[in-house]
Amino acid sequence: MTDEVLLRVFDLVKHYGDVRAVDGISFDVLVASVFTLLGPNGAGKTTTLEILEGIREPDGGEIGIFGERVKRITRPIKQRIGVLLQDGGFEPYLKVHEILRLFASFFDRPLVVEDVLRHVALVDKAGALVRTLSGGQMQRLALGAALINDPELIFLDEPTTGLDPQARRNMWSVVTDLRESGKTIILTTHYMEEAEALSDSVCILDHGTIIAEGTPRELTQAFGEETMVEFRMDDLADARLGGLDACCREYRVDGGSVTVETEDLPATMEGLFAWSRRENVPLDSLIVRQPNLEDVFLSLTGRRLRE
Amino acid sequence: MSAFRNLLACEFRVLARDRMAIFFTFLFPLVFILVFGFLMGDIGDVSRARMGLFTSSDLDRESLDAAIAAAGTMEIVPFSARSEIEDAVTGRDVDFGLVWDGTRLDFLYDAARVQENVAFQQVADGIVTDFDLRRQGAEAPIRIDAIDVGKTSSASWFSLVLPGILAFSVLSAGLNAVSGHVTAMKERRILDRLVVTPMRPVLLLLAIASLRLVIVYVSTLITLFVGVGLFGLRYDVSWLRYTISILCGTIGTMGLGTIIALLVRRPSSASNIAHAASMLMLFLAGVYFPVEFMPGFLRGLSVAMPLTHMANALRYAMGVIDMSETEFWAINVSLLGVAGILLPILARYVVRPMRR
Amino acid sequence: MIGVLRIAFTHVVTAIRERVTLFWFLVFPVFLLVLLALIFGNIGEEREIRFEVGLVNRDTSGSTPVDFAAVVEETFEGLAEPADEGTPSLFTLYRPSGATDVGAFLEAELTALRRGRRAAVIVIPEGFGAAVLGTMSSGAGGSSELTVYMTTSDVASQMATEIIGQVLSAIDREILVRGGRFDPEMAIDSRAVWLGTTGEETPYVDFVLPGIVLMGFFVNGLFGVPGAILFNRDRRVLRRYWVTPLSVPRYLAGFSIGHLALCALQFALLYVLGRYALGASVSFASAPACLLLVLSAVTFLAFGFLIASLAKTANAGMATANILNMPMMFLSGLFFPIAGLPLFLRLIVYANPLSYLAQGLRSTLGVETSAFSWPLILGVPLGWIALSILVASMRLKWDVER
Repeated sequence: MTDEVLLRVFDLVKHYGDVRAVDGISFDVLVASVFTLLGPNGAGKTTTLEILEGIREPDGGEIGIFGERVKRITRPIKQRIGVLLQDGGFEPYLKVHEILRLFASFFDRPLVVEDVLRHVALVDKAGALVRTLSGGQMQRLALGAALINDPELIFLDEPTTGLDPQARRNMWSVVTDLRESGKTIILTTHYMEEAEALSDSVCILDHGTIIAEGTPRELTQAFGEETMVEFRMDDLADARLGGLDACCREYRVDGGSVTVETEDLPATMEGLFAWSRRENVPLDSLIVRQPNLEDVFLSLTGRRLRE
Repeated sequence: MSAFRNLLACEFRVLARDRMAIFFTFLFPLVFILVFGFLMGDIGDVSRARMGLFTSSDLDRESLDAAIAAAGTMEIVPFSARSEIEDAVTGRDVDFGLVWDGTRLDFLYDAARVQENVAFQQVADGIVTDFDLRRQGAEAPIRIDAIDVGKTSSASWFSLVLPGILAFSVLSAGLNAVSGHVTAMKERRILDRLVVTPMRPVLLLLAIASLRLVIVYVSTLITLFVGVGLFGLRYDVSWLRYTISILCGTIGTMGLGTIIALLVRRPSSASNIAHAASMLMLFLAGVYFPVEFMPGFLRGLSVAMPLTHMANALRYAMGVIDMSETEFWAINVSLLGVAGILLPILARYVVRPMRR
Repeated sequence: MIGVLRIAFTHVVTAIRERVTLFWFLVFPVFLLVLLALIFGNIGEEREIRFEVGLVNRDTSGSTPVDFAAVVEETFEGLAEPADEGTPSLFTLYRPSGATDVGAFLEAELTALRRGRRAAVIVIPEGFGAAVLGTMSSGAGGSSELTVYMTTSDVASQMATEIIGQVLSAIDREILVRGGRFDPEMAIDSRAVWLGTTGEETPYVDFVLPGIVLMGFFVNGLFGVPGAILFNRDRRVLRRYWVTPLSVPRYLAGFSIGHLALCALQFALLYVLGRYALGASVSFASAPACLLLVLSAVTFLAFGFLIASLAKTANAGMATANILNMPMMFLSGLFFPIAGLPLFLRLIVYANPLSYLAQGLRSTLGVETSAFSWPLILGVPLGWIALSILVASMRLKWDVER
């Protein structure tokens, strides 16, 4: 990863009527890096992406890309980017290689279709109709279509949603390989582990503005000196939880697990054990850990990464 | 029984919100009737034809006029020049023309009116024959006394077509109830969700069938009344037989729909196949033109089609044609029989998980 | 450019591989062409029509010198036998055998007639022969009646009755000639004159082939175009294109080329079938005919865009197409003559571009004289094209809301 800036966004603005979906955001994306955009639904993340992918026009701001400064993404710029859409279909009655040839024909200098097929491991499905493909195969085809022009900048919009763990791992290695080969990636995801594992740089959006940016490490460190204590609890009667207030200042409950934030770990642990004995609550799967991106996200936006 | 009632209510709501289904059930037959009523009402009906007449000679004029008068209640339009009458024929001001120059009768036809010219030529032939005889003072020693034994006195081809169209709407509704509605429910996994509950599949089918029955019955009645009201068609409807035909027709065609649903690999193709099949049947079942006009092999095919018999049963129930009681009941019982065999299979289809 | 051609290729290939589309745009027009040509082409020929006719001769006395009743019966008998090997006979005759009760037989025949199993039942009444002889010898004229039972509402029965009438006319003439009442030398000369470009009777298949071709283009445009665009938009297939350098105009160009290629395929198939299997003699090889074919294909392509732009979802679009399909197809003079329609239906005919294209094409091919003038024939479809493009360019959405 270098310090060279591939994409620079200047005060991007987009409103829908009175609503300011994107309210003047600016950020840099460095060459050969993975830049992750995080944000709850309605944060302006989708709109920002659409503007950068060239399918929506901004109302204000500029974009610096490939050495030029533009108001919106133009067709010549589209020659050099690749987009993996989160949802999108292919003509069901075309064959895999026909789809790739079709997309190749939109670009001035496409790669050889057979090479791309090999890259996304669809060689033996080259003659199959799209309608016969499984979810994972469809995603690989979409990736192939996004890479057919050997783009310098690639947008991956939730690339692993709906994939099984093995396929997810494969996609992760694809992303890192792409970065190693000098490509720049803008990623969005709902999976915290993915954001932490892949990102060189993270930008958290909410209500149309950036509320935090930096590397994953920087973000969790900025969270403070807090430690997180987590345990599972089956019967979450509020009354019993009420007893936690005495020892634990900040805690959250969700989905059968309780997470406590603390700056004074020993004191909190004592209080927890006392409460557990008093209320007869087994502290299942008790772990003590550092804050992660999910915690950062939650404390900044009040919402989980994956709604 | 409240499960049944709820299923019925839901089925009703689903149908009421499905604009395509509403259209095909109610509007489609109506549009058919309207368009065809006006278009087809006059085909072959030469009594309303307009014949142009141009005579350049008064020779045998009386006989000619008498022959023309005897040919039917056409409207005669006189012309004073041959070119005028020719223009009138090609311009469709008149349907055909007659020119008499004292030695020869010329009949002028518009070459493009292919379907209608046959009837006009028959009128022309009649005029020629009659004229010939009258000129020589002879009279045909043998004449035909045509006695109509048909059930309706002033029946036109259109009054035979209407029951055919009603039969078609029953066919569409029945086919679509299974190959369309049930298959869509299967495709969208709605059936899977219902089937893991204690709900008995037979109740669902019963709800679907009852709803369709009522709707089809109402829609055929609406179409019938429009036909009677707008075009003055006369029917002598035996309501018992009418109801039985509609009932057996709907259930029987649901059975046929089951065949399609069982044969297709993907449930979503079932409705397309059903639609295509019903359109093909519409042409082959003698709804638009009589079966007698079809070449031999197609006639055989036509007899094999359920729609042909459903249409005939309805025609009988509406008093347009005659049929033996045995035949009427045989048709309806066969339809019920088909349903009786296939609907239990349908119940099993409903329960079977979607093939991946 | 390659992108445009690839899109066109995609459109064609998808239509062929998708069985539903294939059925409606190829199989169905072919089926209709063959069916209509066989059926209506049949009527004039009467080659394959055979009528089931019952015959009861009640005048079996044989008292007169010429047994007129027998003459009539034998004439029909002759028609029930094939003229030569291989040609089917015109009638299948049902008569009582020697021992049967004639009255009961007649009742059975009439029942069969009512049930559609007979086209007509001829009854030669008692005393028929004597009556005929009487009118011939007395010179007083008058006719004897032959009863023919039939059903007016049954077209086949009507035709059979007509034919029986013709047979009897021939018998009448024979009787009159033999009786010295009619001089065949003095018979009037009559001929049929076919007004139109060829001066001959137009074969039905020449009439119907251009109609089916136009119907094919019409259905292709009405259903195929909105179907492809709307389903691709709703399935977000189009969205994947818009993130590439492919622009909407280039997509449209490719789509249109593909559509016109499909129309050409349709035309070729129907023409080959019509010409080589059904004997059509009409030739499309003139510039005006080709112009009209292209104009038709483009008109319905544009019309399809209009429909796509008026519908919010693919299902709504298909519903609209279904509603418009029948009125437009039948209220255009394509298959049925449109004379004598009430005003509100005639308005539809006049607004319908198909009416003008049908008449224009048929008159160019020499099959029909057009009721519409050439400015209208070209102007109305062009007007629809302009309107469709205008509305579609304003309203057609190329992506669904995210």
